Amino acid sequence: MQENCEAVVTLTGDLHARPAASLAIAAAMFESQVALHVGDRRADAKSVLSVMGIGATSGQQVRVQAEGPDAAQAVEALSELLAQATQVGA
Amino acid sequence: MSVDATVGIVLVSHSAALADGTAALAGQMGGGKVRIATAGGTDDGRLGTSIHKVRRALAEADAGAGVIVLPDLGSSVFTVRALVAQDEPLPEPLEVADAPFVEGAVAAAVAAATGGDVKAVLAAAQEARHARKL
Repeated sequence: MQENCEAVVTLTGDLHARPAASLAIAAAMFESQVALHVGDRRADAKSVLSVMGIGATSGQQVRVQAEGPDAAQAVEALSELLAQATQVGA
Repeated sequence: MSVDATVGIVLVSHSAALADGTAALAGQMGGGKVRIATAGGTDDGRLGTSIHKVRRALAEADAGAGVIVLPDLGSSVFTVRALVAQDEPLPEPLEVADAPFVEGAVAAAVAAATGGDVKAVLAAAQEARHARKL
């Protein structure tokens, strides 16, 4: 069954290289297509360079959007990771 | 997804320091799960490339799932192509990525860490040609 799901996360730190890599690795485990939206920019969550390229910084809102059979699980897991991985000192 | 044997990555650079530094960065981004071997500099430690070092790195990176080779510039590319053209046993499958060195290595390491096959890892590395930094 195809689902469409999304959630908004406010970053507590910048989405720099290492969190972007963790996110892309986690996103790859889901069958659904997963995208991150920041303002009018969009990144494929499964592409580390695409995630880094949106240049999301602390305080910005990131919309995590997934479409596919495991969209709800993907949004839940990636939102949590996004909130944790960008914590200062992570 | 199964991550039994990940695709190996070989970084070929004129500079040993550049190859080693890029390997450290890409290795960390890949969560330490990916075999990354380097062939940097000449046999006597100068800037340049060495076919022997490339051969050794290919063997080191190969865990049975194939290898992606990323050359940095110029003679690194020639050296890799010369080796591939020779009639000698090399890891299978083997692909040479036409990609920016740092971005390609990072993208390849992440793709390999997720259990992607050689084709997927090659595609991830080559997508780096279009990745915007700003």
